[in-house]
Amino acid sequence: MKLRFRLNGEPVEAEVPGDLLLLDLVRDRGLTGTKEGCGVGVCGACTVLLDDRPVSSCILPAGCVEGRQVWTVEGVARRHPEIVEAFLRHEGLQCGACTPGQVVMAAALKLRGGRPEEAVVREHLAGNLCRCTGYRAIVESVRAALGD
Amino acid sequence: MTRIDALAKLTGRAVYAADVDLPGLCHAAVARSPFPHARVVAVDPGPALEVPGVVGVFTAADLGQGRYGRRVRDVPLLAGPEARFAGERVVAVVAESRLAAERAAARVRIDYEELPAALEAEAALAPAAPAVHEAAWSYPGAVVSPDDPPNLQSRVRHGSPEEAERALAASAHLVDRTYRLPTGHQGYLEPQACVARVDPEGRVHVWMANKSPYRLRHQLAECLDLDPDLIQVHPVAIGGDFGGKGSPMDAPLCVELARRVGRPVKLVERYHEDLASANPRHSGRVRVRLGCDREGRLTGFRVDALFDGGAYAGFKPLPTVTLHGLEEVGSSYRVPAAAVEVRICYTHTVPRGHMRAPGAPEAVFAFESALDELAREAGLDPIEIRRRNLLADGEANPWGATWVEARGRVTLEAALEAYRPLPAPPGWRHGRGIAVYDRPTRPGRASLRLVPSGDRLMVETALPEQGGGVHTVLRQGLARALGMAADRIEVRQVSTAELPPDDGVGGSRVTATLSVAVARAAEALRASGAREPVTVVLDPATVPPVTSYCVQVAQVAVDPESGQVRVLELLTAVDVAEVVNPDAHRLQVEGGAVMGYGLACLEDLVLEDGRVWAASLGEFRIPSPVDVPALRTVLVPGGRGIGALGVKAVGELANVPTAAAIANAVADAVGVRVRDLPLTAERVHRGLTGGGEGTEEDERRGGRR
Repeated sequence: MKLRFRLNGEPVEAEVPGDLLLLDLVRDRGLTGTKEGCGVGVCGACTVLLDDRPVSSCILPAGCVEGRQVWTVEGVARRHPEIVEAFLRHEGLQCGACTPGQVVMAAALKLRGGRPEEAVVREHLAGNLCRCTGYRAIVESVRAALGD
Repeated sequence: MTRIDALAKLTGRAVYAADVDLPGLCHAAVARSPFPHARVVAVDPGPALEVPGVVGVFTAADLGQGRYGRRVRDVPLLAGPEARFAGERVVAVVAESRLAAERAAARVRIDYEELPAALEAEAALAPAAPAVHEAAWSYPGAVVSPDDPPNLQSRVRHGSPEEAERALAASAHLVDRTYRLPTGHQGYLEPQACVARVDPEGRVHVWMANKSPYRLRHQLAECLDLDPDLIQVHPVAIGGDFGGKGSPMDAPLCVELARRVGRPVKLVERYHEDLASANPRHSGRVRVRLGCDREGRLTGFRVDALFDGGAYAGFKPLPTVTLHGLEEVGSSYRVPAAAVEVRICYTHTVPRGHMRAPGAPEAVFAFESALDELAREAGLDPIEIRRRNLLADGEANPWGATWVEARGRVTLEAALEAYRPLPAPPGWRHGRGIAVYDRPTRPGRASLRLVPSGDRLMVETALPEQGGGVHTVLRQGLARALGMAADRIEVRQVSTAELPPDDGVGGSRVTATLSVAVARAAEALRASGAREPVTVVLDPATVPPVTSYCVQVAQVAVDPESGQVRVLELLTAVDVAEVVNPDAHRLQVEGGAVMGYGLACLEDLVLEDGRVWAASLGEFRIPSPVDVPALRTVLVPGGRGIGALGVKAVGELANVPTAAAIANAVADAVGVRVRDLPLTAERVHRGLTGGGEGTEEDERRGGRR
């Protein structure tokens, strides 16, 4: 099938198989920042923005992005340097496997607006598992990113 | 101090094994046995070969007889003629795309003849049990003999059982309790992944999520009968390890496939495959018999541990093929007479491997729970019994190790001083529990090359970054040792072709290793006038080890109606010397405590009829941001560390005492002693309604009430 959408702000036209997943669509285009973790939409490592809302790209058929905006971690990091800066400052990462998803979730929260409390941030990140950090540093990073 | 790897990871540029792309790359997928034990009668690749894009279909018969292992070489590349666990690789398919490979793998027709299986550790050691291997003793690296039960992987004994029996018989107070731990997965978010390429000249190139590249090279060479110098392991980032990324896993298969198709091959496991077939934590039971005198002084103990190693022993690296944490049970205390026996056996289930401080969370859960139970028998406070028995400086632990300083007491007091009770919800009961762990820091072998260039310095290392921050610590350590600014030092991860072997990351040793290595490197660089590149190789045998204590205090609220447990706070006091990178150090403690919480309250990789039941991280649950308790970390400075930086281990401390601390807190709150993990509301409720002792084996596991 033919697909037209915007990827990290750039127009894209692609001929893709109907059963292709959004995860593979972006990774096959060299955007390997988006990671496959659980593969069933529960761990959050594959999170991307679809029209500014976070989705699990590992369970979303690529066809769903027709005519829409997709932002991966690569684009989000360029669009929101303050998020990258906050994670750097608060050391909100270790192995990095969940990190692209956390960065994208920070952007999603930022685009929603407001200065949510810690409990709200945790709730927002509930579907983004991290096995390394124990979460405190990630939550601090996201809150700092919203404060800037 | 910013992490060296942080920017690449935050912008999606960091390259992991699954991200490696090579010209002509093919993808592999495997068909796995659905049976715990079966004979592969026939394989018909016909339907698979019809899938567009398929390059080749391979069975065990196509790939030779090589077996691999971290110590015992008993793991075949593909199963055949027998498959020994549900999830074992049986047929491999190589195709132009991953989806084509997976589709084809699903279409391979495999006829199995199901065979009787040994599914439980206890039963597997019975004389009539089906043997998992015909002659397990014959594998290279095996530590068993033809006279042992056929399903034994290893048996380790320390101490004198006779002396321990005499001491127990003379004890004023005594407990005899058995504790059980389920299988658990390391829960790294990056599934097992590797890429292999074989040059026309026969040189092998590997990119893999593996934390000890030189060991991987050695293991591949042994398995594939190759000269190690022909194998080059290339640097990639590792997306979480926790003990699970130290084996060759799919790499030998990937190399053989690449050789046969004449193109590079990538094999990335789906997470459900990783859960069912990689190398999760051993399940087992620990029986503790522990005694004390009238004053609460420990008199002796006997510990008998039986753990399920699954279908292959090849995922355990120690020469003894055991889990060192179990051998070192009781190490924090002064005990005149002690004996331990640890047996690990084969069953027709997923092969078990290492997970963060292998054997230690298990041993400490059992021993520290038993210590609280003994205190209750003796009418002593749980804190008091620890105060009376923790080692003092220079005293021998039960296994004969002595440490210049043993900072258990000071760490315990620091934890208690920082402790503040938090309110429990109305109607819930508050409880506090304490547990202690100590872990020796022993440096490993390391090699570094320093390349000076004007006022800058490039450092080459083959140590991979699995999240702990090793490259950042290396840069900081060198900056200190050389008295130069860290931003003038660049760390470059190189392949195994470029430096002499080192031990890789693991055993909580890497910061200590580097602490010694950077001093040597700085000396060598100065001696050379800082103009020429210098290569430094560290021999670990010359460095005396130290031990580090970790004391955790858990406070819980328990609903006496439902048995629900809420962990209000985990307070972790850590015995430290110098801390090189406070941010990274704190993350090791916090991440460890949360992992300990997962083991205590959530995680259970359930086996049903020998098969891993969980198909995803939805069914095998690890803690999420909303699950975790409040965390407090107290550093107890003043210890004597290792090397120029004066450091102690931290990576495998905070995950160890947590389960015992929480179980002790629940007992304190409602008088229910839970001896089976995870500590679920159901188990607490059973204890609440059954007279205070939630000891019954879970029906699912043992079928008895």
